[in-house]
Amino acid sequence: MNTNKYPEIKPGTKFIKKVYCFIMLLIVGRAIEAASKTDRVVKKEVEALPNDLCFYLGVMPSGPYMVVGKTKEGGMKYLGWKLVGKKINLRMNIRNIEAAIQVFTFQESTATAFAHDRFVVEGDLPTATAVVRILDIVEVYLLPKIITKLAVQRYPKWSEMSPFRKWTGRFIIYGRALGYGLVKDLITNIF
Amino acid sequence: MLLPSFYDFCCRVKTISGNKALEMIPDLLAGMNAKKPMIVTDKGVVAVGLIDVVKKAVGNKLKIGAIFDGVPIDSDYKVVNAAAKIYRQKGCDSIIAIGGGSAMDTAKGINILVSLGGDNLLDYEGAGAVKKKLNPLIAIPTTSGTGSEMTLVAVIADPERRVKMTFVSYFVLPDIALLDPRMTKTLPPTLTTSTAMDAMTHAVEAYFCKEKNPVSDSHALYAIKMISDNLLNVVKNPGDLKGRLALANASAMAGIAFSNSMVGLVHNMGHSTGAVCHVPHGVCMSIFLPYGLEYNLHRCADIIGEILFPLAGPEVYAATRKKDRAEKVIELIRTMNQDLYDATGGKHSRCLKEIINRDGSQAVPQSILPTIARATMMDGARLYNPEEILEYDSLMVLEHAYEGIPLDRSKIKKGGRKVAY
Repeated sequence: MNTNKYPEIKPGTKFIKKVYCFIMLLIVGRAIEAASKTDRVVKKEVEALPNDLCFYLGVMPSGPYMVVGKTKEGGMKYLGWKLVGKKINLRMNIRNIEAAIQVFTFQESTATAFAHDRFVVEGDLPTATAVVRILDIVEVYLLPKIITKLAVQRYPKWSEMSPFRKWTGRFIIYGRALGYGLVKDLITNIF
Repeated sequence: MLLPSFYDFCCRVKTISGNKALEMIPDLLAGMNAKKPMIVTDKGVVAVGLIDVVKKAVGNKLKIGAIFDGVPIDSDYKVVNAAAKIYRQKGCDSIIAIGGGSAMDTAKGINILVSLGGDNLLDYEGAGAVKKKLNPLIAIPTTSGTGSEMTLVAVIADPERRVKMTFVSYFVLPDIALLDPRMTKTLPPTLTTSTAMDAMTHAVEAYFCKEKNPVSDSHALYAIKMISDNLLNVVKNPGDLKGRLALANASAMAGIAFSNSMVGLVHNMGHSTGAVCHVPHGVCMSIFLPYGLEYNLHRCADIIGEILFPLAGPEVYAATRKKDRAEKVIELIRTMNQDLYDATGGKHSRCLKEIINRDGSQAVPQSILPTIARATMMDGARLYNPEEILEYDSLMVLEHAYEGIPLDRSKIKKGGRKVAY
C-alpha cells in the first residue's frame, strides 16, 4: 500500500500568537512575583497557599508556559518558561492557542474562560481558585481600568483599592517586573 | 431560552427509574461483565433495612462479594483505602453504592483505587488525574438531593489536613443510576426537606450561573417543577411512593444540570459552612438559596425570573409582570422554607442561628462567620457565580443568613461588564 497517499497533517505553529502569549505570560509571571512583595491582599492570598506550591499556566499542547513557585520566605518567584527539572504540583492549561488569545486579549475574563471550559486544571482545585484571584489582582495593577474591566469579574471600588494604593502599587510592580530581575530571568532561562 | 456563545455537556450515566428497578441489578451487572459486586454503604442505611431490600430484590441471581458499611458522615480517604483492600481481598469486580452523597463519593474513591491500582487515594487527587475507564459502578441513592449518582466528582475529606479533596474526571461518573422509591421511603422528614432543597439549589444555580446551557437548562427546569410539585406532599405523606420517585428523579436531573453548568454563591457558602462547622450540606443549601438569588439579582434578573414558570406554574407566571418575576421567585423560595419549617415542626432550619447540634449547642456561632467567609475564597464555586464574591461579600451574606433577614441590597458591590454566558 502506498502510504504517501495519506499524508500526515502537521499542526500549524501560529508563531505570532504564540509569541504574544509568551510575552504576556512572562510579564504576568514576573508581576506575580512583584505583587507578592508589594500588595497586602496578594500577600494574604499567598500565605494561604501550600508551602511547596509550584504551578504553571500554559497553553496546550506545547506551550508557551510560565512557571511560578512559592518561596521559603513566603513570597512567589517566577521560575521561567521551561517545565523540565521543576517539581510542578498544579498544572493550569488553556486548551489551545485560540482560547489563550481570547483570554490574553481580554475578550474573555479569566472566570468566563473557566466557565467556558477553556482551562484544564490538574492538581488541587482550591489552590487553583486562589491563583485565579491573584491573577485578577495582578491584572488590576498591570492594565488600565478600561481593559481590566473586561478581564475581571468586578473592578475594585475605591473602598477596596484606593487610587493611591493602585498607582503606587502599579509603579512598584512594573518597576520590579520589568527591571533588573527580568534581564536576570531571561539570561537564566536562555542559557 | 439563552444560547451561550460556547458550552459543553456530557452525561454518560444510564438512568433506570421505577418501582421494581432494584430487581434489574443482576442483569445490569452481567451486561457489564461483572459478577461479584461489593456493596458500599453506611451503618444508617443498614440499620433501616435497605440492604435487606436490595438483597431480597436481587435474590439468588447475584453473589455479593462484600458489604462495606463503614462509610462515615463525611467520606474519608483512609476509609476509601481500607475499603479498597477489602475489595481486592474478596475478589470483587464491581461496586454497588447505596446511600447518600458520602456513600457514593466513597464508592467513587474506592473505584478509582481498585481500577487504577495503588494503595493511597491521595495519588489521584484533583482534576484530570483519572484518565482511564474504571470498573462497573451502580449508584443507588437513598436520599433525594445530592445528585452524586450523576456527577463526575468525588468529594473526599482528609481529616488531618482538615480539607475536602476533589477527584474530578468523566471516568468517575457511575455507569448506572438506579432510582427506586423503596430506597427513599424511610427517609425522615427533616432529611427529605434538606436533601430535596439541596436538589432544588442544584437546579436553580445551574439555571442562572455562568456555565448555563440549553441542555442542562432543560434538566434544571423539570427538576424544579418536580420538587415544587411534590416536596411538601411527601413531607406530609412520607408513604407517597409516587412523590418519592418524582423527588429521586428531580435530584438526578438536578445532578445532571449542575454537573455541567456548575454552581455559584449558594454552594460556595454551603461548602465553606459545612467544612468549618460540619453542618449538613442540604441544610446550608436551603438557608443560602434565597441569598444566592438576591445577591445575583442585578446581574441576571431576567434569567432568575424564568424560574417562576416551573416553580409556581403557568398561571402565576402569566399573572406576574416580567420585571417582578425574579422577586417573586425569591419570595416563593422563602415561603417554601417556611412551609417546610412548619411541616417538620420547626426542624427545617430557616437561618444559620437555628441550626442546632445533637448536643443542643449552636452549630454555627456568630463568632465563626469570618472564618467561614475566609474559607469561601478557596472554593471553586466562586468562579462560576455571575457576580464576584470576595471575602467581605461572603461575610455580608453570612451575617444576613445568620439572622434570617433579607439581604440589604445596598451593600452588594455591583460592577463589571454584563455576564457573558
